[in-house]
Amino acid sequence: MSKEEKKPFSQTMAEWRQFVYNPRSGEFLGRTAKSWGLILLFYLVFYGFLAALFTFTMWVMLQTLSGDIPKYRDRISSPGLMISPKPVTALEFYFNKSDSKSYAEYVSTLKQFLKSYDDSKQSKNIACTAGKLFEQNEDRAVKQACQFNRTKLGSCSGVEDDTFGYAKGTPCVLVKMNRIIGLKPEGEPHIQCSPKEEGKVQITYFPDGGMIDLMYFPYYGKKLHADYLQPLVAVQLAINSSITKEDVTIECKIMGSPNLRNEDDRDKFLGRISFKVQMSE
Amino acid sequence: GLTSARAAEILARDGPNALTPPKSTPEIIKFLKQMVGGFSILLWVGALLCWIAFGIQIAQGVASAFDNLYLGVVLALVVILTGIFAYYQEAKSTNIMASFSKMIPQQALVIRDGEKKEVPAEQLVVGDMVEIKGGDRIPADIRLIFAQGCKVDNSSLTGESEPQSRSCDFTHENPLETKNIAFYSTTCLEASPFLPGTATGMVINTGDHTIIGRIASLASGVGNEKTPIAIEIEHFVHIVAGVAVSIGVLFFIIAVSMKYKVLDSIIFLIGIIVANVPEGLLATVTVSLSLTAKRMAKKNCLVKNLEAVETLGSTSIICSDKTGTLTQNRMTVAHLWFDDQIYSADTSEEQTTQSFDQSSQSWAALSKIVTLCNRAEFKPGQENVPIMKRVVVGDASETALLKFAEVILGDVMGIRKRNRKLAEIPFNSTNKFQLSIHETEDPNDKRFLLVMKGAPERILERCSTIMINGEEQPLDRERAEAFQTAYMELGGLGERVLGFCHLYLPEDEFPDTYPFDTDSMNFPTSNLCFVGLLSMIDPPRSTVPDAVSKCRSAGIKVIMVTGDHPITAKAIAKSVGIISANSETVEDIAKRLNIPVEQVNKQDARAAVINGMELKDMTTEQLDEILINHSEIVFARTSPQQKLIIVEGCQRQDAVVAVTGDGVNDSPALKKADIGIAMGIAGSDAAKNAADMILLDDNFASIVTGVEEGRLIFDNLKKTIAYTLTKNIAELCPFLIYIIASIPLPIGTITILFIDLGTDIIPSVALAYEKAESDIMNRRPRHKKKDRLVNEQLAVYSYLQIGILQSVGAFLAYFTVYAEQGWLPNTLLGLRVSWEDDYYNDIEDSYGQEWTRYQRTYLQWSGYTAFFVSITIQQVADLIIRKTRRNSLFQQGLLRNKVIWVGIFSQIAIALILCYGLGSVTALNFTPLRVQYWFVAMPYAILIWVYDEIRKLFIRQYPGSWWDKNMYY
Repeated sequence: MSKEEKKPFSQTMAEWRQFVYNPRSGEFLGRTAKSWGLILLFYLVFYGFLAALFTFTMWVMLQTLSGDIPKYRDRISSPGLMISPKPVTALEFYFNKSDSKSYAEYVSTLKQFLKSYDDSKQSKNIACTAGKLFEQNEDRAVKQACQFNRTKLGSCSGVEDDTFGYAKGTPCVLVKMNRIIGLKPEGEPHIQCSPKEEGKVQITYFPDGGMIDLMYFPYYGKKLHADYLQPLVAVQLAINSSITKEDVTIECKIMGSPNLRNEDDRDKFLGRISFKVQMSE
Repeated sequence: GLTSARAAEILARDGPNALTPPKSTPEIIKFLKQMVGGFSILLWVGALLCWIAFGIQIAQGVASAFDNLYLGVVLALVVILTGIFAYYQEAKSTNIMASFSKMIPQQALVIRDGEKKEVPAEQLVVGDMVEIKGGDRIPADIRLIFAQGCKVDNSSLTGESEPQSRSCDFTHENPLETKNIAFYSTTCLEASPFLPGTATGMVINTGDHTIIGRIASLASGVGNEKTPIAIEIEHFVHIVAGVAVSIGVLFFIIAVSMKYKVLDSIIFLIGIIVANVPEGLLATVTVSLSLTAKRMAKKNCLVKNLEAVETLGSTSIICSDKTGTLTQNRMTVAHLWFDDQIYSADTSEEQTTQSFDQSSQSWAALSKIVTLCNRAEFKPGQENVPIMKRVVVGDASETALLKFAEVILGDVMGIRKRNRKLAEIPFNSTNKFQLSIHETEDPNDKRFLLVMKGAPERILERCSTIMINGEEQPLDRERAEAFQTAYMELGGLGERVLGFCHLYLPEDEFPDTYPFDTDSMNFPTSNLCFVGLLSMIDPPRSTVPDAVSKCRSAGIKVIMVTGDHPITAKAIAKSVGIISANSETVEDIAKRLNIPVEQVNKQDARAAVINGMELKDMTTEQLDEILINHSEIVFARTSPQQKLIIVEGCQRQDAVVAVTGDGVNDSPALKKADIGIAMGIAGSDAAKNAADMILLDDNFASIVTGVEEGRLIFDNLKKTIAYTLTKNIAELCPFLIYIIASIPLPIGTITILFIDLGTDIIPSVALAYEKAESDIMNRRPRHKKKDRLVNEQLAVYSYLQIGILQSVGAFLAYFTVYAEQGWLPNTLLGLRVSWEDDYYNDIEDSYGQEWTRYQRTYLQWSGYTAFFVSITIQQVADLIIRKTRRNSLFQQGLLRNKVIWVGIFSQIAIALILCYGLGSVTALNFTPLRVQYWFVAMPYAILIWVYDEIRKLFIRQYPGSWWDKNMYY
């Protein structure tokens, strides 16, 4: 009420204290102990029931799912491209070829990433027929994986050069295509990279022509296809030494396959990726 | 008179002769008030935080920075649009008023430069000579210098309903009492067709200096108090804002201490604010109130201030005028006495016949006197108008008799023509009788008929015989006593009694050509034959007794405040039930027990009739005592100034007081009252200005309908708010879980706004159309301080029970969408940082597939949409359960309120359009959703309904139990 006079502060405080604990009625925050007990018990039961119900409905929902493949895959009809190593901030490589610390992070990431491609790890994998989709029988509980030897990555394999060319000013970047269950590329998919400005950089692909072999497809999912290794394309950039200290923007795209999209307005990583490299000496 | 030049000079000095309208707030201030009131401040803060976040992000070069800019703009737009909307609603209701009070400019006949001129009354100045004739409104305060048959109706000023004669004699020191001053805005009456009152006077005061002007300025001095609903809404805003701010700050602190960046924490804070604030609610409340206001206007209650709609509902005391509000405001014949017997006449508004026994010869004689001894006449050209509605020239009693005769006999004017009037002595205060002599319509009867009516005791004095069953019998003591008893009885009913007598003049003494001379009275005026009595009263409106009993069962005290005589006031109070049949006043008890008034225990008397003179000498304590001790109170002979005292007394009892008034000097009381009700027909402009509500038909019963509507809207607003608050939790939980469990954001801020301002709007308005659950007129008025609009139970039940249920249902849909696309719940936990990393384009889901940022975002929008759809579906259930607070839905009926179904369909339609129609507009963050996701939350929706039915069942089964106390809102 506008007409009501302002209560003195001490009275307000006293009222608050009264509210917090009222010694006469034994009320604490407006309720007696019994009342608090009842209300807490009620909410315990209420929320207990809700939690049980939620758990049950979640369980029912999860029962309808298969452990092997997701129910729907329509949100990822076409794969994205990604590179390794991934710089911490944005997709921008900054390094000094004479300072091994400046690229140590990239090198260790690459080493780590390629570990699973070591020959020793691929003993179970089989050599598949190149150029053909490797479709496997449905009743096979465990799907076989095709071998992908590191040696296919040539000078970017890290076998001969354990700095992946960073020390020489010819850094390697691995381009990979996102795994999507059941994806069967058509045609002859290959990675094609180009610098934004012509002539600043020379690009070498491993395997040759940046080819992605069809034998690595389709993918059957983490559970069925535990040993699966996705095919990689290594891109070695020979940066023109005259343009050091300048940014080089490189865009890679997946080409040669009609069902792999690479021109989406909204998704800048769908079948393509662009990254920057700046090298100094 | 003055010269034009002099008049212009004075006009320049004194200003125009008009009342300064009450100072109104400038429009721009009103508009800005709408912009900062309620939740607006909170949303402005939200918008500001958005822009700050935008500023920081743009400096950091974050790609999604513009989202925050847009969100800020949207929030600001929401505030501005709801502000404009509220302003528009406000303005619309004010406009109704403006059009109402607009009047035709008044003209005054003034003598200037020695000529009579018509000038607008506004241009009158002190010293002007003005001429007034019957029917005019007096254009300023004037001192009469010439008056002929001039009577004024001062009722708007003093409340006296009797016309007062005015002459040029100075009779009293007090300007209000003296006869030679006529006041601004009172009316000069058209006394009779034969004597048009005229007067000439000199203007002594103009504009605000007039008596009326002074009272009007007094009224504006009485402060405007906040309406109960405004207090309730403020209380509600405080609760919600308190919850929003404390949760916001709490989670800001949690977020910061969880090592979130401050910027991110700010963005969370925005989300929490947006989720917590029911953006559309205040607009909905306005719409609901204006819908009710419209409904009330249809029932003749015009509400000036939207919030007054509800005030009427919480009214606990109505101080009502008598004349015109409780009564029909016209004299009507109520009782007859002839043949030694009292007959009751029909006093209803629409009478077309009278049903008392009319076979007696005495009645024939009486009716003849009534018809002939009457100077009132119908204005011509009203043959098709119902008798009761015809305009009559003549005073109130004569009008009553004329209409009474016309109803029974028909064609009174024809009868008068056939019984030609030969001589007449009009009523005057010394004679106290009226007499006329007529030829009779029987051609064989050459006698003249002398008829007379007047004050009963005077008439009886002149009679020697009395007519019983058509026979003249000597008027002996026994007969005279019978007359006295009847006279007392009718007088005790508060009725104005008239006696009627006649005499057939002998043919031999009064031949055809006898020259009747009223000055010398050459005819007998004594030894007449007494025929009967007729009593008149301003009868109660026929709807009023019912309305009063409704008020009583609704716990509303009705106090009659009138300027009339206590006996009349008491009689009317009894006949409408303000004083119930079996209750007694202190005086009644004293009379019954035959003891002095002082010895009566005041507690025993339920009723009290207080005279204005007594009231004058009372202390506040004594008045309080009366107001507390007596439940049935009549204040008689009160001056309008005393009304203010009565209102204040009632307000001291913590009552919400409604006051009716029509006069200018009622305006302070109207202003002071919690709800002032002005009369639309009889009310003065000043009263209408001061009031919150205007009663278009001046009928008390309309107030009661208004009360019913007001109570209904209070209940329905409760339901609307409960409905709206519920989903706020379902909007808030996603943010809290998002912060704590670091899952991808389940619902976006924009999506929340689409619920608050999209799907939820029509349903929440639809609740305003809900019918009452039980007879709302059978419970006590709500206690201003205890029965809150938003109470603890409502908030707790909405927030902690249904709201949580909804959140759980919506989360089920969210997890379903993600799981079916490959993101099992356990994968989602703690995923937030990498999920939102723009450069992390190969995040692996539970099945080993890798997702780009955009693919994830798109999935996130599907999650938003699923969450949104689930809330919508559950809000349908919420809407249905909110139809009742206590009754089962089956008792209330699902189809009685069809607007609810409109609400449900609109809700679903809007959701469908957003999902499938606008699913491709990226900025809106909606995606076309698989049909089955619409049904995921359905079990929870059903559960909400079942749970609420159980809640209501227990409340009905165990009233007063712990459950009832904690679960009934």
